[in-house]
Amino acid sequence: MRRSHGDPRGRKPFRKRPGHDRGARSEGHQSRPQPDQVTRGGNYSRELQSLLTGIGTPKPEPFKADRFQTEALAALEFEDVLVTAPTGSGKTWIAREEIRRLLATGKRAWYTSPLKALTNSKYQEFGEEFGAERVGILTGDRKENSDAPLIVGTTEIYRNQLFDALRGGEDVRVDLVIFDEAHYLGDEDRGHVWEEAIILTPPRIRMLLLSATVGNARELARWIEELRGVPCRVVTRPGDRPVPLRAAFLLPDKKLVSLLGPNGKLNREIATIVAQGDETDRPRRDYRRR
Amino acid sequence: MPATRTLDACAPIMKLRMPEMPPATMLTALGSYNLLPAIVFLPTRRRCDEAASEAALSRRATADDRREARRDFMRSYVEQHPEIRDHRHWDTIVRGGIASHHAGHMPAWKLVIEKLMSAGLLDGIFATATVAAGVDFPARTVVITVADRRTNRGWESLTASELQQMTGRAGRRGKDKVGFVIAAPGPHQNPQRIAELLAAPPDDLESQFRATYTSLLNLLDAFGSFAQVRDIAERSFAFRNLLPRIHHLEKQREANVNQIRAELQLKAINLPVESVLALERLASARSRLLEGTPQTRREVRQQWLNKVVQPGRIVAIGRSGRRLALVYSRTLDGVTAMREDGRFSSFPLQRVGRVFAPIFSTRPERAEEAFDEIHDRGDQLALPEPKLRDAQAGEDEAIKLINDAIDALAPAQAATAEREAVVTTLWSLQAPAAAMEKANREIENLRAEIWEPFERSARVLDHFGYLDFAKEKVTERGKWLADLRVDRPLLIGEVLQRNLFASLEATHAAALIAALAADEDRDYGELELEDAIVSLLIKFEEISFEVSTAEWKQGIEAAPEINFSAASAAAHWANGVGWDELVRETRAEEGDLVRMLSRTGEALLQIAGLRGTHALAAELASRTAEIILREPIR
Repeated sequence: MRRSHGDPRGRKPFRKRPGHDRGARSEGHQSRPQPDQVTRGGNYSRELQSLLTGIGTPKPEPFKADRFQTEALAALEFEDVLVTAPTGSGKTWIAREEIRRLLATGKRAWYTSPLKALTNSKYQEFGEEFGAERVGILTGDRKENSDAPLIVGTTEIYRNQLFDALRGGEDVRVDLVIFDEAHYLGDEDRGHVWEEAIILTPPRIRMLLLSATVGNARELARWIEELRGVPCRVVTRPGDRPVPLRAAFLLPDKKLVSLLGPNGKLNREIATIVAQGDETDRPRRDYRRR
Repeated sequence: MPATRTLDACAPIMKLRMPEMPPATMLTALGSYNLLPAIVFLPTRRRCDEAASEAALSRRATADDRREARRDFMRSYVEQHPEIRDHRHWDTIVRGGIASHHAGHMPAWKLVIEKLMSAGLLDGIFATATVAAGVDFPARTVVITVADRRTNRGWESLTASELQQMTGRAGRRGKDKVGFVIAAPGPHQNPQRIAELLAAPPDDLESQFRATYTSLLNLLDAFGSFAQVRDIAERSFAFRNLLPRIHHLEKQREANVNQIRAELQLKAINLPVESVLALERLASARSRLLEGTPQTRREVRQQWLNKVVQPGRIVAIGRSGRRLALVYSRTLDGVTAMREDGRFSSFPLQRVGRVFAPIFSTRPERAEEAFDEIHDRGDQLALPEPKLRDAQAGEDEAIKLINDAIDALAPAQAATAEREAVVTTLWSLQAPAAAMEKANREIENLRAEIWEPFERSARVLDHFGYLDFAKEKVTERGKWLADLRVDRPLLIGEVLQRNLFASLEATHAAALIAALAADEDRDYGELELEDAIVSLLIKFEEISFEVSTAEWKQGIEAAPEINFSAASAAAHWANGVGWDELVRETRAEEGDLVRMLSRTGEALLQIAGLRGTHALAAELASRTAEIILREPIR
């Protein structure tokens, strides 16, 4: 059980509030403290309570696709799509559903990823999902079922297939290519491979790029559009995070304070404490350093 | 055991100095706020391992009903990955519920930790930033301990995107209603910066497009001309990002042309814009000549030194000149060089006496040879110093010619007064003309920025016979090199071309390929190398030097050096030692060994693919790859 290991000394402040973690506050307003709960918070200060309120596991909900996911899927029928969203927010779902759709109509897909570890886990995942006989894997040292309609592999291998096809004057037998972790295009050592792959992919092949949030997504999409003569839609997850994030600072005396003040800038209290510490901590620091 | 303080020595100075919270204290504090499980990001692998052991030790005594579950969970993986059974962190995980996760660990071990975490069986993971990239394993809380990150270039501030990758691990979808990012105290913490980075927009994706031998050979072979390869290169995101600047310059240029045209029209001068440009070119050529002509002997010497003193050359220090030094680098008017006693010194350019013609390698181990050669034949090898008279002669003549050409620009048949007016107007338009020329040059430079590296690579490939530069064709040799998709194809190509590979034993083949597949500066222990392998590697180093020299001549950055310690580790592995023994003897980190050997195996498989042209080498490579890619490398 998640909740049984909070504190070795057995102080579990939030367990005193029955229903807090589980049912009572699952309306999705978790980032805003509610007055009736704040007052029940034991010996915590008002600020700390508002920082910590709402911790816990949400009530399980049946899966329902987000708007950005369905938008991306719908667009893919005619356009290239660049999805930017943080990890864990459901980019893979889009890829999986599109692959399902293609495989059902007898078409072929290539799923590229930057890391061998990711490739291996996707191979397993897709094998379980679509049937092992329909999935193949190609990495630098692994080649299995390479004629399958769905291939997972490293971006380098996909790029190499494009080179081979160009030189042999043949066509690449694929209808959709998915670039997972497409922001690797900016990787110092290997980024050029992504660019080569995007440039050389024939325009008839649909392209789905899954990327972490980047500043110039539109720029990137416009480039792809001009390059391939096919519209490229940017789909972003609104409200950018699947789970809301709070920021805090853990002070040397183990007190927890919000990192940001009400204005979104550094909490004044931290600035003050840090400035104090600058003077008073000096002897202690020397002792600690050995 | 206290966490190491190595950071103090190399991190940039920051005004905030706070004591660092011991890992066990930190986890206990987080637990008291119900903020576990947490991923704590630490700057180095070693600190992750130490922090995990430390924290686990102090948590062993506390009640935790998940110990059995963890043990069973891990045992269920042992069958598939036997190498995790005796892992030194087994107890840390089972009894403490804490793990360390970084690139130094085996892939299988990391996988088990990821699974344990998603099963909710761990309280904390100490990880380097590499966890943030790629693998999806979230926690309720992520802890940021330093505002800097170690990169190849030393310590650098976190970027907004890097912090975002880390905070992306906070809050498990379906398991947490809210996730936390917590800045922990430490001497290199900077809450102000963390707050700013959290608010900052995500970084732009920057193109890393570049010329590689593999892309050049494949594209040229597919498309058949440099023009078409250039066309492909100019469809890159990198080139697109230059376009706004190019368009801006083109607009500027157009404005200049219009200005000149309008002025000519206004003065009713029937001359094309080109005449104004021609005058500008002639005038600036004249002033360059005048400026560049040395007026004194000292200047002549300075100009000459500036040209000939370059890295790899040996110079004599001082006029008397028996003290020699091998030049390593140059600044505008200074030299850094290695003296014969092996020590480095820097001195002003003027102190250089004689300069000797040959350009040597700047590798310290080759310096002695170089010095010997100069001692033996220095008098023949010294470069002649130019004299002042030589430098000035010829230029008077040239200036006269230019003056004549300038005169000829104005229409000869016109009356003197009219000629005067035309000349005055032409001169008055020099500013826009110069701006136009400048824009032209800049446009050309920008356009060349993407393509030029391809051209330079093409010249290197031409030098080694893989490509015919004049005919713009990939040679027969180049066709198989195009198929060799490894990090440093040219080096392996030359090894194959010179028949160094095909007759080797598998052990030696493994050593050779590992030497260049490994990270240049990573240490894989100092196992003893057989003499045969050492002499093989020395031969290989000569090839590598030849390749680097050809690249250097084309202005291509020299390839990293080959890694002897990787060669010895790979040779042992190819000899059939067990994994535990290899790890024990090399004292290298398991993750590094796995990566190095797996890359070696991949490169060997690439060679194995050249069955059509290199049957023997391919057969050997295939056999060797099979030996290398045995468990746990797969």
